[in-house]
Amino acid sequence: MDVLPDEMIFDLPSDFRYLGAVDAALQDLAREFSFSEDALNDVSTALVEACSNAIEHGNKFSKEKRVRVAIRFSGNRFSARVTDEGDGFDFESGLDDDSPPDPLSERGRGLMIMKAFTDELTYRREAVGLSLELVKICDIEEGEAGVAD
Amino acid sequence: MKITQREVANAVVLDLNGKLTGGPDAETFREVFKSLLEQGKKNIIVNLEKVSWINSTGLGILISGYTTVRRGGGELVIMHASERIESILYVTKLNLLFKAFETEEEALKSLSGSGGAS
Repeated sequence: MDVLPDEMIFDLPSDFRYLGAVDAALQDLAREFSFSEDALNDVSTALVEACSNAIEHGNKFSKEKRVRVAIRFSGNRFSARVTDEGDGFDFESGLDDDSPPDPLSERGRGLMIMKAFTDELTYRREAVGLSLELVKICDIEEGEAGVAD
Repeated sequence: MKITQREVANAVVLDLNGKLTGGPDAETFREVFKSLLEQGKKNIIVNLEKVSWINSTGLGILISGYTTVRRGGGELVIMHASERIESILYVTKLNLLFKAFETEEEALKSLSGSGGAS
């Protein structure tokens, strides 16, 4: 995984119990970069969902597989790249499908959540696994400068 | 995720504490709902006050609970959802499925006509 100078990297086991650590770190960083409370919740929700997706659908909870997360704050732009080591799944049709699942269906809302809380959502098939990039342009709290490139 | 139960008036309140993310939580919830229904306790209030966040798998757990309770002739409502959780319910349109209340009193009142709780 290529890493940019101002990216922060998380390297997670395929276990939901590690999601809280990502969420807590992201919330702390987003406050540090003066993101508004709404923006902070949006990026946290989207990133937790992307990691959940990679753990469950990408790596299928395999103990041998990792999820790598690269996050970057640049001014009011937040971006994250989430890469799993799975065999891939049909992400493409999900991105094109905006229809909500049956209200009583227990599945099928992950992409809906990621799309709702981001401005851009793109995926790329890697040599191993799938890489998902999320971008959100966020409100910055008034009186704060944020951090430039 | 920790779950504690308490009986209030005609309902059982499930106080959740932690993050609702699926995995082992799903089985725990299934057992709790099954046990409550077997005891004839059909009015359930899920208290989300101490749930910091939820993912789509966690939503699936809540839906599974809702379906189980409804099939057993009961009602499941939620209360004290944070803004973050409310926004997830809204974008997934699950706000149309779950009755959500800001106070326990309101939640209990909504169940008062359902009968046969505890």
